[in-house]
Amino acid sequence: MLVRAFISHYRRHPFQLLALALMITLATMLWTGVTVLTDQARNSLFQSEEAVAARVQVVRTDGQPVTVDDFAWLRMAGVCVAPWLEVQRPPPEGRVIGIDPLALGCFGESAPGGEAGDLDGEPFMDISEAAMLSAKGADSQLYLLAGTDDESLPETYALKDFSLSPPTGELADSFLLNLDALSLLVLLITGLLVRSVHRLGLAQRRDSLALLHRFGVPRRRVRQLLVLELMALTALCVLPGLWLGAQLAGVLGGGFGQALDNLFDVALYAGSDESLPWRAAGVMVLLVLAVCLLDWVLPRRWQNAASSGRGLRVAGLVLLAGLTGVVLAPGLGWVFAGTALVFAGAGWLTPALLAMMAQRLSGSASDTGVSPLLGWRRRELAVMFRQLALPVVALQFAVATVLAVQALVTTFENTFDDWLAQRLEAEFYVEVPVGADAELGAAQLRELEGIGPWHRVTRGEASISPADNDGKGAVTPVDLFALGPVGELVADWTLLESSARPWQQLAQGGVMINEQLARRQNLEVGDTLDVTIADTDIRVPVVAVYADYGRPAGEVLIHRAQLPEAFSAGFESFSVNPGERTMAEISDRLADVWDTSNLTVRDNASIRALASRVFGQTFLLTRAISLLTLVLAAVALLIMGWVFFTTRAWYFQLLAVWGLPATMLRRQLQRLAVTLTLSVTAAALPLGIWLTWVLVSRINPLAFGWSLPMAVYPMFWLELGLVAAGIGLVIARLMRRQLEGPTPLPPASRMTGAER
Amino acid sequence: MPGCVLAIEGLGKSFISGGQNVPVLAGLSLAVNEGESLAVMGRSGSGKSTLLNLLCGLETPDTGRITIVGESFDHHGKSGPDDRWGELRRRSIGVVFQEANLMPALSLLENVRLRAYLADQPAGGERQWLERLGVGAEADRYPDQVSGGQAQRAALAMVFAMAPALILADEPTGSLDRHTADEVADCLFAMQRDNGCALVLATHDAELAGRCDHLLDLTQPG
Repeated sequence: MLVRAFISHYRRHPFQLLALALMITLATMLWTGVTVLTDQARNSLFQSEEAVAARVQVVRTDGQPVTVDDFAWLRMAGVCVAPWLEVQRPPPEGRVIGIDPLALGCFGESAPGGEAGDLDGEPFMDISEAAMLSAKGADSQLYLLAGTDDESLPETYALKDFSLSPPTGELADSFLLNLDALSLLVLLITGLLVRSVHRLGLAQRRDSLALLHRFGVPRRRVRQLLVLELMALTALCVLPGLWLGAQLAGVLGGGFGQALDNLFDVALYAGSDESLPWRAAGVMVLLVLAVCLLDWVLPRRWQNAASSGRGLRVAGLVLLAGLTGVVLAPGLGWVFAGTALVFAGAGWLTPALLAMMAQRLSGSASDTGVSPLLGWRRRELAVMFRQLALPVVALQFAVATVLAVQALVTTFENTFDDWLAQRLEAEFYVEVPVGADAELGAAQLRELEGIGPWHRVTRGEASISPADNDGKGAVTPVDLFALGPVGELVADWTLLESSARPWQQLAQGGVMINEQLARRQNLEVGDTLDVTIADTDIRVPVVAVYADYGRPAGEVLIHRAQLPEAFSAGFESFSVNPGERTMAEISDRLADVWDTSNLTVRDNASIRALASRVFGQTFLLTRAISLLTLVLAAVALLIMGWVFFTTRAWYFQLLAVWGLPATMLRRQLQRLAVTLTLSVTAAALPLGIWLTWVLVSRINPLAFGWSLPMAVYPMFWLELGLVAAGIGLVIARLMRRQLEGPTPLPPASRMTGAER
Repeated sequence: MPGCVLAIEGLGKSFISGGQNVPVLAGLSLAVNEGESLAVMGRSGSGKSTLLNLLCGLETPDTGRITIVGESFDHHGKSGPDDRWGELRRRSIGVVFQEANLMPALSLLENVRLRAYLADQPAGGERQWLERLGVGAEADRYPDQVSGGQAQRAALAMVFAMAPALILADEPTGSLDRHTADEVADCLFAMQRDNGCALVLATHDAELAGRCDHLLDLTQPG
């Protein structure tokens, strides 16, 4: 009987129960989706590192690609090699890797993809299946993995690092850290939303709960029932939320796998796990209980102090501490901590400041400059900002996040595009095959009449130390990038900092460094560096700093004339403009001189298309998560706004009783709802712009080593404003039904929501 | 009919309850002139509030005709007269409820000012109305900061600030203690007489009803 009386509120107000259930389900869905993707990213990167760690590949010294015959011949010769067949399927399926579990047996325990015979689905599959895909026309490439210390290799073969990309550890850590931060932000926003809906429902039940208490039910018993009710509802709603979250992760997973593939050259995204992520469910149950029952744990004194003048001063100090912390933070962790403080302070202050502003704009009774109806609307707005503080803050955070992510991604795309355009000045790029003599190719190009500008790019490794180091300081390994001849192809490079005539100075023995190295070593133009290349030390002045939106490693650029004899190139290529010649003619001559039939020639357009695809996929997840968060926050505000408006409906009806025409009444409602959502969006703007700055100027330099120009996109603000106005109009539309037509005077017992 | 503010002819209204048609008002006719007051009494459910709702156009009668300050409304059609009813409520009919007459987000003075503004009354005299009703000192307080009696006086000030021809009061003292109820009633009748408007007062209180010029008992047949 007591339980029936207890839950009778929801029989009368099923919408409130539905709203809470919906919010818990959606919050669980979003959190589960993000958790699954982040965990899989972490596992994928871990597997990737495990798979390629301490492994080398066998290549032919004649520069020809290895074939199945090479594999068979090497195995017969007693060399432990295993085939690794990469097959590139068209998007969204992406890359798969065919391996032979039996052949991997000779490596012992550290076989990629698990124990021999234990293929765990995509991206690893049996090599026979991969070969079938390849036979159907998919691009494929065979590699032969070998042990690191195999000395029985015949002379016609050589060992080479099996690294299909540069090392990614640092970049991967940063990527995962950013995903974790985004996940926490999602958790924070969902927590706020669940709490807001639960608090509103509780406020509506205050009278009936008090009645139970007056009828003799102990307060403790009432609380026990509330906890039981919440636990039952959470248990019921978390399950569909988990399932939906797993589905969401599955939908986003394809794009995410591509992102990993492109960003890290990690072809190991394990796809979605069949089992439900129970850990995410546990976190969500704890979150729901914590945010909903927080009021019983916190002393009432604290709760009251939070919205007092003193509380707001504390919020201001928290905000200030966060802002200062982010500027001065020495590491990523501190930046995230400072950002959390800024969000806490902003969230604490925003509803109070908005309410204060609305109150002030409403004018006083003696202020005849504001019409009384407008004054009333602004007072109602102030009430809403106070009563809807939590969903208002959640929407503000979500809008700020979407805004910042959008600005970051757009800026990155634009900047990267410009950067790529200046880097891809040549029309074609020819890779020097493994084992081939690049100098022979260079000689051929020099002899070709009518050929356009070209240069030779040599990549390898070096180390640097500041010239005043006297051998005492740390020696830093860097990537080496050697160029020659220096000509038209690099003339338009935008340098972040440079001396006069930097390319001439480079040709005369200067060094250029990338932004990552300049930031990390605190180097600038005019400094002198000791660069160790193979067995040779050279002392060179820094003549320019260039942008490099790649991995975090430091890089030095020298003229290739400075490369010592002993230097061993890791990778070489030619950037070529054919000029009066055709590229087919040029590549034929190079293939002849290198005695190969398998010359890799890429054109500018295909590289640009690849790069666009890479970045489109890379930011798919970030965009999707932030947009979903925005949708969730919008739905929450819509639900809360609707429920809250319902409690204030009588005051609109009072205006109708006082003779305000129905059209004007509807207009008041629309203006109030739209002003509410637009104000929240406006309040999110400074936070979003600040977050953009943090991402481009603080997090990127610390995580990746490079910064991006700070840019804002007012058109996107406008789009967000339209979305916000749309939410407001939907709230107004939902409320209209209640206000249509004259309303009989309500009995006093129906009077609720008289807060001001 | 010179001086007649309210006239009712053959007014009827019934509700459907549990599938049954329950008549509440049947063939009611009456008239109230300028400066007159009419008390409407009856048990709970006898139709007092329904009558007041009909008199301000918040409900539509099943039969009969209502004439207020020369504007006639009958039971036909709903959409047509709504605007005219709205116009009447805005300028000519002041409504006082048992409670919840005030906007909680506005001070007492701002409430009066809003009501006067909607009735197109010139701004400036609102504080005087509050003073005349004895709540001038509370003018800048909010409804939740004053007592029930003070809030009800402010509600009366709002009605008088709009200079109505007709006041409809539904149990205006129902939620007040005897002493405060008497004070509020004193104010109501004094101001009504001073302004010369008509008053229709629904009440259970026989003493209060006795202060009116006319009495309509809805429990008595005919």
